[in-house]
Amino acid sequence: MAQAQQRDFLSQITPFDELPQADLYKLADSMDVSYFPEHSKIDLTSSAHGGYLYIIIKGKVAEIRDGAIISHYSVRGFFGDAEIFAKADKKVFYEVLEETIAYKMPAAIFLKNLEGHAKFSGFFNTSIVDKLNRVHQTMQAAASTEMMMNTVCNAPIQKHVSVKEQATILQVSQKMLAVRSDACLVEYDDGSVGIVTNADILRMVACEPHGLLTEPGVVGKIANKPVHSVHEFDYLFNALLKMTRYQIDRLVVRRDDGFAGFLHQKDLMTLFANQPGLVLLKVEKVESIDDLVVIGPQIDELINSLNRKGIKTHYIAKLVNELHRKMIHKLIEILLPQVLQDEVCIFVMGSEGRSEQVIRTDQDNALVYSDDLAADQLSLLDQFAADFTAAMQKIGFPPCPGNIMLSNPEWRMSISDFKLKVENWFKNPSDTNFMYAAILLDGEAVYGQHEWLTEIKQTLRQKQEDYPVFLRHFAVGALQFNTPVGFFGGLQADSGKDREQNLIDIKKGGIFPIVHGVRCYALEAGIEQTNTHWRIKALMDRGIFKQEFGIELGETLNYLNTLRLESMLAQVAEGVEIPDNKVRLASLNHRQQDILKQSFAVVDVFKKRIVQHFKLESMM
Amino acid sequence: MFNTIKSWLNERRLNQQKAALKDDAYAYLFEPAQAGCFVCFDCETTGLDRNNDRIITLSAVKIVGDEILTSQGLNLVVKQEQEIAEQSILVHQIRNIDVEDSKSAYATEQDAIKAFLAFIRGATLVGYYLEFDVAMVNRVIKPWLGIELPNPKIEVSELYYLYARREAKRSCIEPNIDLRFDSILKHLQLPNFGQHDAANDALMTALIFVKLQKMGLR
Repeated sequence: MAQAQQRDFLSQITPFDELPQADLYKLADSMDVSYFPEHSKIDLTSSAHGGYLYIIIKGKVAEIRDGAIISHYSVRGFFGDAEIFAKADKKVFYEVLEETIAYKMPAAIFLKNLEGHAKFSGFFNTSIVDKLNRVHQTMQAAASTEMMMNTVCNAPIQKHVSVKEQATILQVSQKMLAVRSDACLVEYDDGSVGIVTNADILRMVACEPHGLLTEPGVVGKIANKPVHSVHEFDYLFNALLKMTRYQIDRLVVRRDDGFAGFLHQKDLMTLFANQPGLVLLKVEKVESIDDLVVIGPQIDELINSLNRKGIKTHYIAKLVNELHRKMIHKLIEILLPQVLQDEVCIFVMGSEGRSEQVIRTDQDNALVYSDDLAADQLSLLDQFAADFTAAMQKIGFPPCPGNIMLSNPEWRMSISDFKLKVENWFKNPSDTNFMYAAILLDGEAVYGQHEWLTEIKQTLRQKQEDYPVFLRHFAVGALQFNTPVGFFGGLQADSGKDREQNLIDIKKGGIFPIVHGVRCYALEAGIEQTNTHWRIKALMDRGIFKQEFGIELGETLNYLNTLRLESMLAQVAEGVEIPDNKVRLASLNHRQQDILKQSFAVVDVFKKRIVQHFKLESMM
Repeated sequence: MFNTIKSWLNERRLNQQKAALKDDAYAYLFEPAQAGCFVCFDCETTGLDRNNDRIITLSAVKIVGDEILTSQGLNLVVKQEQEIAEQSILVHQIRNIDVEDSKSAYATEQDAIKAFLAFIRGATLVGYYLEFDVAMVNRVIKPWLGIELPNPKIEVSELYYLYARREAKRSCIEPNIDLRFDSILKHLQLPNFGQHDAANDALMTALIFVKLQKMGLR
């Protein structure tokens, strides 16, 4: 009981988690707590501070060599090992950037544990050689996913520094040096901002006459625009995604009332472990299909650990779909012949388009190409389509049971033909064509000429207005499955085998009616978002859904999706290749069943609304 | 002048206590500890009645300069004659079974306090609402040793009060100072280790003390 907190803390830190429990506890019990005020220096060669390994409980410490920060350490980071191994650079010292409380572990007992624990000592032996690598690994996987879902303000943020556009290069340099920043914001008189980095200044000094150093206004000219920024309460994984998307090393951190400072990719990386946080970056570095094959299971692991942390399924889906799209984009880059690069638009549809597919259960995709392709280009395209679908399967996207894939010529057409196809859906309304329209409406381009998909969707909207009766027939789809609640309000499995095993199809019973119903409202209102949560938000913003109702609907969807995800993860763990959407009632506890009942009640209310709104009484 | 009288009174009281001490083996309680060394301590008890309630756990930790020596911390558990009441289990979350399971539990409060006295010797005691914890110890040692804890004492909520007053000095409004433990931690931006057990509370109180001391209070 007494040392529980300390032991718990240490067991969450790689590589200490490799130690047998008894040794880990002994190490934990040997630690004292040290307090370092802000701006104090820690000299590990001195007798006062030397001879210990420091593990940060709270605060931020920088490792400084020759006046430059070479590493940041924050919560759960540790330093002093290089000094213990006597491999440290003498010129290095540590400065406390933010008031720090740290555990200190005596070197002697730390060294004793290196003997006989190969994995533990291996970590330090190899890591000294490759310091950066070690920093990446300082966090255990669990801790790093926690970090990913942490907000930006928890990361080491470099101090904010800014100048007016009239400033001289000399003034900027002095300001940057004073706070040890390698970037500076430039505020223009028109209210816009730009950013100058030390690379810009270096380039400027090397290439331009020296008189410019003190001339006012030069800064305003060499600053870069636009400035990419992230809000301090945004998720860290969003910051990392932004950096990879724009291929930049730093982001400006925004506050509600201005700027907070800079977030560096290098510092961000120190917060993530090799897996699964680095999956995000690995996707960027993919060079072959084999590289992509490796990433699939890592994403699954990420989903698992995020779900265990209790992260809302909505956010998991957002992250995972971003990764899936990057994978698909990379795959296209690898496979598509250069001559076709500007001639196509490839889009994902259905749940993938809505960013709502978490476990890869199927793929819905299509391709449109420009109207004037030559015959040899067309045959190249056919070959690409076959290769693409085969490779998708290989990297873990199961084929679509309805064959809605770009390898099917029905979903690989010239742009004019595709528009005709859409018009035909309206001329020959049928359940299948309604389904196609629904799937297409959720489409999002992943590669090529994005505007072509926009055009096709416009055709779809135009036609829907020309055929007003379409929307009513379309909306009926939301009612096609019964809500699995019995006459007396209890949960009730559908029929036959499912009823025997007490299985409830949560997709048919709850998720589909919400997703499709919201889709109908969105189509009617001309809302372009595809994600159901964003559609609900847009409908709330326009006053079509009341605030309370929209939130209730969104939370209900989240809960149902979470149950489905958990059931799917359990099925995958049992070895089922393509998990279904069913939830075993017996596996839910009383409280979960209770919320499930309430969720279905919300679904029923929504269905009644749909009936009224789209005037469906006469059609049932 | 006032200080002279105060220290004279203090000395007189100490001398009276020393004379009253029934067991010379504990004379070390009157020997001043080395400079910069403090002991922070906290008890969990069966209730808030200092005459009738009992100590269940007692944790103490030494502070030397900017460091808190958790590795040499003292964590005592006392066996209970009576069942711990439900209300107090809700406060400290120590169930009867936790005390029974604890291998190192002391049979009586007096045995536990013996270990505690050997740990603190003459050191200055630091605590949050320390008076209560001290009273719980005094209840045991008064009939046995004839004295109350003679050690100098520092109350962190008092230190914090001075700090908060100093912070608000420039304002003309009388500050509304929140002396709750969690509020103090939050205000001083210190980590809250969560579960309030004696060991964590002693550690957190020690951190408050170290930080306030660093800010020039005391």
